[in-house]
Amino acid sequence: MFGRLVKESFVRNPRRKLLTAAALVVGMAVATSTLTIALEVGDRLAREFRSLGANLLVTPQSDTLPVEIGGVDYRPVNEGAYLSEADLGKMKTIFWRHNVLGFTPFLDVPIAIQQSENAAPTRTMLIGTWNAKEVPVPDGTTFKTGVSVTHPWWKIRGRWFRDGANECVIGAALAKTMPGIVPGKVIYVSDETGVNSVQDHSTLAKGTPLEVVGIVSTDDAEDKAVLAPLEIAQNISGHPGKFRQLFVSALTKPADAFSERDPLKMTPTEYDRWFCSPYISSIAFQIKTVLPGTEVRTIRRVADTEGNILSRVSTLLWIVTLTALIAAALAVAATSATTVLERRGEVGVMKALGATNTLVAGIFLAEQLLLAIAGASMGFVLGALLARSLGSSIFGTPASPRLILFPVVLGLAAIVAFTGSLIPLRRAAHFNPAPILRGE
Amino acid sequence: MFWRLLWKLLRGSGGRLAVAILALVSCAMVVSALLNLEFDIERKLTQEFRTLGANLLISPRNAQITGSSPAEVMIESEVSAAIQSVKDPNVMAAAPFLYVVGSAQNTAVVIAGTHLEELPKLEPAWRIEGEWKSSQAQQTACLVGRNVAQQLKLAVGSSVSLTYLKKNAQLKVAGIIDAGGAEDNQVFLELAEAQDLAGLPGQISFAQLSVSGTTTGISHYAARLAAALPAYEVKPIRQITEAEGDLLSRIRLLIVSMIVLISALTALCVLGTMAALAMERRQDVGLMKALGGSIGRIVTLFMAEVGVLGAAGGFIGAILGLELSRWMGQRVFGQAISSRWEIFPWTIILTVAIALAGALPLRLLGKVKPAIIFREQ
Repeated sequence: MFGRLVKESFVRNPRRKLLTAAALVVGMAVATSTLTIALEVGDRLAREFRSLGANLLVTPQSDTLPVEIGGVDYRPVNEGAYLSEADLGKMKTIFWRHNVLGFTPFLDVPIAIQQSENAAPTRTMLIGTWNAKEVPVPDGTTFKTGVSVTHPWWKIRGRWFRDGANECVIGAALAKTMPGIVPGKVIYVSDETGVNSVQDHSTLAKGTPLEVVGIVSTDDAEDKAVLAPLEIAQNISGHPGKFRQLFVSALTKPADAFSERDPLKMTPTEYDRWFCSPYISSIAFQIKTVLPGTEVRTIRRVADTEGNILSRVSTLLWIVTLTALIAAALAVAATSATTVLERRGEVGVMKALGATNTLVAGIFLAEQLLLAIAGASMGFVLGALLARSLGSSIFGTPASPRLILFPVVLGLAAIVAFTGSLIPLRRAAHFNPAPILRGE
Repeated sequence: MFWRLLWKLLRGSGGRLAVAILALVSCAMVVSALLNLEFDIERKLTQEFRTLGANLLISPRNAQITGSSPAEVMIESEVSAAIQSVKDPNVMAAAPFLYVVGSAQNTAVVIAGTHLEELPKLEPAWRIEGEWKSSQAQQTACLVGRNVAQQLKLAVGSSVSLTYLKKNAQLKVAGIIDAGGAEDNQVFLELAEAQDLAGLPGQISFAQLSVSGTTTGISHYAARLAAALPAYEVKPIRQITEAEGDLLSRIRLLIVSMIVLISALTALCVLGTMAALAMERRQDVGLMKALGGSIGRIVTLFMAEVGVLGAAGGFIGAILGLELSRWMGQRVFGQAISSRWEIFPWTIILTVAIALAGALPLRLLGKVKPAIIFREQ
């Protein structure tokens, strides 16, 4: 009897049900798509923020004070401490190794360049670094990294040097002052100290020939320097296998009050939680553990901006999502309320025929539940598709549907449809069948 | 007659009316709150991006390539006059810098002269232990980078002596800077002191500015400044402006698309409610037609009812929505989002339009014979 009543109600007047169902589909599509985006936005934006470049800087601990202006270290090569290039594979062995997106070592050497072997030398800096180096990782794999990850805003005309080749790229400002240098030309590079001691250029120690393959523009000190493979800088400075600075780009979680605490003062559980969260402080700590004798510093400008904006944008999105959910819920509830109100006549007949309030309510709620299940399922599919296309238009890759959201959306739909019909049903319980049947 | 009927219709429907109003109000609220947010979001976000620090650099045109000595310098008064003359409210901070390599207690160190009080505005991400500027100026104050402090065993309040060539200066450490960059290895002091020490009165190495706004806005400002300073080079710091522009456009796209999506779908939901309400009126339409009302007049009557509902819902919703966006701004950015009253009429128009669109099925009923409608129920 109960089942037949519910079935009849659907078969007899499908159009009425259609409205509630449509409202449910649309409302649940909003819920699914906004929730999917809100869940994903943190990760996606964090990745976008890596266009700011490195957010960690690793330097030797026992270093003398770098005499650095505009990013170039003017210390003599024999002063200060160095780090070993061979250890860098260990960077990919830390707990958060997958969050380490890239790292690039740097070694600056003061040099003299000559356009031909006997030409007058020009003094400048040689910056040794990696372009796209295959770094061997202790687990047997290799990891490809270099300046394109840690310094994505550097622009190259021509091409980058190959790591290990006798090639170099020169800064745009330097290229302007030395018009003879164009891609394809060979320059001779030697240690600057050689120039100081020898007055006569012809007796100058023979420089390393490097082919210029590109012109780099960085809008910074590198514009006035020569960039070459790290090996070249190591050989010229006489420090094979060494470097001075390591820039690391890591995916992190915005810092909060907890992440700023001193890990030494944490309880073991707190320490585990801190260690297992990708905070910039815990990643820095882990890098320091695998590269002993180093100091790992947060590049505050980058890390703070990223943290601020990430946390604000995600709070904003959650609030917007919540508002959307409430608005959708209200609209759906309103539609189900309307459909219940519409059927006062039916309620009157049922009650006149002896139906109890519980039975009437049961029939209506069963109908709403069926509608909610159907509406939520369709809405979920629609919302997932919407989130997919939104994700690809905003971040370039589609947002993957999250099945975990399905029960959430289903529950939400049921609650909304129920509450929407509860108030009119309560009123229906007090109906006197007679006036309703009379049509008042 | 028309107005009396309208009044009766509005009063008579009781619960139904409340339901429709609820749906319309929530739709108008969300739409107006999100629109208001959207207008203000860019300004709020560009301000947040200023944590990145300086994004515009004024430097000598052909700065020499090497040298630990001040190679080429600019005239401080020219630069500051130009910054003064090209006024822009978006300039958050501007500071001239003079860099020399001197020594502090026999250790080679980079000495930077600048306006110390501009530093916290220029680089909001820097942390300081102590103060940006010594409050009691008995002795000239300086700020030292974290590494300098560590190396030279300096603490806040201790004094340090700086040497450049033959000159000497005794300074008091007012604060220790943690910048996470090259600045950790530098000593900052007042520009005048540094010029005195370096023997370069009135000269600076370069100037940095922190300008808020979009990428195009910043490059416009840079162009105006460059026109006022033909002798020097004015350029945006690309690491910052490029990433900032890119991120800003993505975040805006994200928020705008969420807003469009939510507004559209909320409107659809409300459309459904209004349609349900309209369909319910079939019997009334049939009755009026049977009594000899022209269909045009009947439809106008119902449209008027729905229009009044829409206007009322839109009005209440817009007020609530503006309040909601104020709260959102407070919650997210720590400062309220200013209400834009031009959103008010637009929200009401939109809500009325949605309500009317929902009532459109009534027109179709005009073709139906009254008898059929009566028999159906």
